[in-house]
Amino acid sequence: MASTSISVSAAESPAFSFSASTFQKLHPVEFFRKFISQGVRPDGRLLEGFRPTTVHKNVVSTANGSAMVRIGGTTVICGVKAEVAEPKMDSPNQGYLVPNVELSPMCSSSFRPGPPSEQAQAVSEAINRVLKESKVLDLTDLCIEEGKAVWALWADVSCVSYDGNIYDAALLSVMTALSDVRIRKPTYNEGIIKVSGAEILDDENSFTLNLARTPLSATFSLFDSSMALLADANAAEEAICQGEISVTLDEKGQICALSKVGAASSSQTLLRQCIATARTRTDELRSIIRSQ
Amino acid sequence: MDRKRVPGPELTVPPLVEYALDQKRWSPQEECRHDANRQPEDLRPIYLKTGLISQASGSAYIELEKTKIACGVYGPRPIKKSGYGFSGTGTLNCEFKFATFACVKRRNHIRDPQERELSMILTQALTPAVRLELLPKSAIDVYITVLECDGLSSCFAAAITAASVALAHAGIEMIDLVAACSASYVIMDRTLSSAVPPPSTTSDSAPAAVSLRPPTIIMDADLEEEKFEEGSIMVAYMPSLNEVTHVLQNGKVDRSIVSQSVEHCIEACNKIYAVMRHALVESIDEKQTR
Amino acid sequence: MASTAEAVIPGQRLGHAQEYIAGSGTYLHQDFLYASVVGIKQINPSDNDGLPFLTVQRESSQSAIPDIDTIVTCKVLRINPRFASVSIMVVNGKPCTDDFQGIIRAQDVRATEKDKVKIYNSFRPGDIVRAQVVSLGDARSYYLSTAANELGVIFGTSIAGGSLVPISWQEMQCTKTKAVELRKCAKPL
Repeated sequence: MASTSISVSAAESPAFSFSASTFQKLHPVEFFRKFISQGVRPDGRLLEGFRPTTVHKNVVSTANGSAMVRIGGTTVICGVKAEVAEPKMDSPNQGYLVPNVELSPMCSSSFRPGPPSEQAQAVSEAINRVLKESKVLDLTDLCIEEGKAVWALWADVSCVSYDGNIYDAALLSVMTALSDVRIRKPTYNEGIIKVSGAEILDDENSFTLNLARTPLSATFSLFDSSMALLADANAAEEAICQGEISVTLDEKGQICALSKVGAASSSQTLLRQCIATARTRTDELRSIIRSQ
Repeated sequence: MDRKRVPGPELTVPPLVEYALDQKRWSPQEECRHDANRQPEDLRPIYLKTGLISQASGSAYIELEKTKIACGVYGPRPIKKSGYGFSGTGTLNCEFKFATFACVKRRNHIRDPQERELSMILTQALTPAVRLELLPKSAIDVYITVLECDGLSSCFAAAITAASVALAHAGIEMIDLVAACSASYVIMDRTLSSAVPPPSTTSDSAPAAVSLRPPTIIMDADLEEEKFEEGSIMVAYMPSLNEVTHVLQNGKVDRSIVSQSVEHCIEACNKIYAVMRHALVESIDEKQTR
Repeated sequence: MASTAEAVIPGQRLGHAQEYIAGSGTYLHQDFLYASVVGIKQINPSDNDGLPFLTVQRESSQSAIPDIDTIVTCKVLRINPRFASVSIMVVNGKPCTDDFQGIIRAQDVRATEKDKVKIYNSFRPGDIVRAQVVSLGDARSYYLSTAANELGVIFGTSIAGGSLVPISWQEMQCTKTKAVELRKCAKPL
């Protein structure tokens, strides 16, 4: 943190002075407000600044497709595994695409071991909705034998290091991993599905997914008391912000999902501003993926 | 039924893999290791780095070619679990988890018995090295996630190595680091039979001479090599105090081979120690230049 | 040997017990001194011509944990007639990553007239208090004391929502309404 050497004393009672880190711990909102009033954030970013982002494809060879995404201190890995399952009775030719986000106690001290927290459930559900509602993948592409066998794609996101904005990171990793998926072509014979064990995969013995669109997102947090809009909040900022706006756009700039949660109020102009910034941000993310 | 996750089909299975008849596949009869450049005593190159988890007190990431493991240490912090009485010393908790995509078959999100057992062994292997008597009433939590597993015992040994580096990185007082290494016993001889026996039936269908031949000790076996192993051993060792904290031996093998492989493992642990040392000294340099 | 910057790691042998006194970050095992943390080895001469101190200066400091006599800063969570429950947030000037629990019992609030202490006249939930650890306490909480001039409430919010400033050792005034509220105040350092 750039500010550790600055000694901040509380305005109310100048007699007690603390180091910056102690002051942040005791009065997080006050600490933050002092920075926002200067137009900067504690980590040196401007209000609308996103953290440096990197994307790496094909990082896990045991998965059919994988991607590692880093947004500042947040690191997530998505691995997509294709396994064979029975189709549902009412959709005999449709496969499954199941995204889940795991926020393990390893990635931050705020997560406990055990079943997924509400936050993890909310992120998983939000990604599931985006994939489903914006019809990213035609599930009939995953059919092996109608009524008998289909591919089930488990897109599991494992968070290695958590520092805020998990939705953007997780969605980016899922979309990149899906674009990296390569599945061996199956043969169906009397209930037995076999794939070739060839070492080198090419278009002859395997196939890739045909993604209709690639929704990516940009998330902003609302710091109510000064009506400030913070792009890509880190964990400390998320803890004191009262609201969040997430804009999910596809490559044509069409809105795939838009959510505003939390008690903080926002105006229409604020929302328009978010959508405009999200457009530039998602375009930037797309060029990061392409340069991979 | 897991109601807290996005539901998928109840049962999924990996497809059967069919190999072409003319396809060349590795087996111990080839008189070389799966990675032909490695001698039996050679380890895979190790990449070890500290400080990738920004919110943790200490963290480490280890890579042995394909095997990738992340480890985060939190603490000392108050014991969160209820039911603990007053304790004059600290407690060390380890949790070992495979990512769902880390192995050939998909793993469940919920910890299975194997992961629970490995967590317990990990705690036992690391506890002797940590000075818990200095941390009354506190807990140290070590969380390990295997992102990709290429060889189970070698992956587990790497997890111990990474966890001890992460503990040191967290600034927790320790009497020594713990390095760990694994070895597999594989019978390697091309003269035994020309047909390749499938791994599962090696013991019953192969000629009696097979079981009498001493197996070769190969260090740091990968997944392909593990398929053909007769047994394996994992040794956790404190290099500067020259003390062993844990030995885990699986499979039936001659006594002399076991003691020989313990020696091999200790030798290898000293090599790993150099890598651990380098990673920790590097973490000091990084902090100073910051 | 001069105090050169030498990086050491846990378990590394630093010297013989007859040559040095074991300082922080080191431990003694069978006549030898070893490092127990990652850091820089330092040799400091002792004051009275004795053996020099051998310490290891930590590079990554361990998360702070409370110990007897340490000064902590905590936030009052709940009060009842017998004690105030607090969450310990800062230990020895270092913020804790996870808060520890503590209690200030009525008899530990001040040094004089201990039997007349009323917890609700000393602390209110939300107050930031500077205190000292008196014992490791029970399984859950550390026992804390504010029985010294420089210990007590350092920040508080009045009923009206304004911040409080101390006007005596047991009274604080709201900056908005000028109403006086009772607290065990800390004397500003």
